Amino acid sequence: MRKPTDRSTVWLSALLCIFTVLLALVMQAAPTRLIDGISVMPTWPLMAIFLWSGLRPHFMPPIVVFAIGLTQDLLTGAPMGVWALSYLVAIAVCRFRGEDGMPRDLPPVLLRFGATLLLAHSIAFAAGSFALEQMADLQLLIIELAATMLMFPLLAFLALRNRRASRAGFIGG
Amino acid sequence: MATRRSTRHDGEQGVRFSRTLFIALLVLSCALIAFDRPQSRSDAFARFRAGFTDITAPVLELGAQPLRAIKNIGPYFRRQGELAEENARLRQQLIEARYWEDLAYRQRDRIEIYEDALNVDTQAIQDRIGAWTVADPRGPFVRARLIGRGAQSGIEDGYPVINLYGLVGRVYETGRRSARVLLLTDLNSRIPVMADRSNARAILVGDNSPFPRLEYVGRQPDIEPGDRIVSSGDDGILPRGLPVGEAIATRDGGWRVRLYSDQAPIDFVWVWPYRRVTPPDEEAGAGEASLLDPQEVGPATAAPGPDTPEDAGPDTQGGAEGTAAGTAGESEGGERPSGDGAGAAAAADPEEVP
Repeated sequence: MRKPTDRSTVWLSALLCIFTVLLALVMQAAPTRLIDGISVMPTWPLMAIFLWSGLRPHFMPPIVVFAIGLTQDLLTGAPMGVWALSYLVAIAVCRFRGEDGMPRDLPPVLLRFGATLLLAHSIAFAAGSFALEQMADLQLLIIELAATMLMFPLLAFLALRNRRASRAGFIGG
Repeated sequence: MATRRSTRHDGEQGVRFSRTLFIALLVLSCALIAFDRPQSRSDAFARFRAGFTDITAPVLELGAQPLRAIKNIGPYFRRQGELAEENARLRQQLIEARYWEDLAYRQRDRIEIYEDALNVDTQAIQDRIGAWTVADPRGPFVRARLIGRGAQSGIEDGYPVINLYGLVGRVYETGRRSARVLLLTDLNSRIPVMADRSNARAILVGDNSPFPRLEYVGRQPDIEPGDRIVSSGDDGILPRGLPVGEAIATRDGGWRVRLYSDQAPIDFVWVWPYRRVTPPDEEAGAGEASLLDPQEVGPATAAPGPDTPEDAGPDTQGGAEGTAAGTAGESEGGERPSGDGAGAAAAADPEEVP
């Protein structure tokens, strides 16, 4: 039976998960072009999904991954299902399996995320081009991919540091 | 090694990636992609999307507030050294603007007299609906912005959206409290335009680049680099004369447009509730057609054409293609209100119309 403190930390991490995913979605749609010179937007929701599916796999079942992708489609005005499909497949293929889940070292996490990102964007490109009935903007997709890959190490480092700091794992997990 | 051991709780071991659910969601995703294509989106999907943006608009508005607060930090520091020069230039422009202001007032008075004489009622500039941009996703699939005003404020699909500098795009997904604006740079954007100097017609085609293409310009177009490009109003969807941008020649001999609306970040925009002004000859034709047997009149007058604002769907391509045909004088019967049926009706004796 779980201790009360365990239960409260689970709730805390669940709240944190919801908050970070919502923040990622809002940031994805935020009007950053209003700020002079900034127009490249990393794929924040994929980072959130990937990290949480490694740290707390039971927070990221397929239905949640699908819902996040669908919400991103609706927020960004993209055809429905494009990001939902790409996240679903990418996470299903590249998620960490095994008892330990995500490793505590950065390089393997980065490598796995790179593969997830590439797969997700490839599927999104194919699905988006099919939906639009013409080639989607490949250049922007590549820029987005590069921006995400540059931004991810910082978030991964923070998440893994927290995980390493506690024997119990990430926020008591 | 002990610290590397799994410390998960028993109930959390393994990921609950149910295969059945996974496959079901895959199928659902594929179905959504197939049925929610912008070219053939059903009303139900469009309503669902608009309803969703209505719900999320307040949250996005909240997220946009801090960005709006810091938006001018970059330009502010960059322009400090240019303030004196800019001030002198602005004073000069103010003097010139006064002349144009007088001219505008005179033209407005003249237009009012003409409108009274012709008994037409056009939308005034003051009717524009102001709105803030609440979301500006720069995705690879669509170039659209979400604005914080919707049908409650009188916004409808197809209305042109402008900012301080020029045309931004058109409304294509209207919710109750929010609306999505398809930008001129989007892949699906098609706008009939003309060069202000020569009246040379073209279609402005978005291709996701910051400089949309000018197409259907003809073999020897009367366009020069730097020409002011404005909306031609040929389709009746957009008013004539909205400033769009500046023509620039490309290396391959084509033409593109540097958009005026990109001179500054699109933050505050106006939606122009523009309705097509029916030409008097079409009005007479339609009036007479309604007196005739619908079977004799034909489909052109029995149903409104695809280029009327009411029929302008979320995709501008259909209307724009009709415009391109109309511009080139290739409109076919049944496609436009001025087709065979309307033409026949207009050719009838106008004195028969009571």
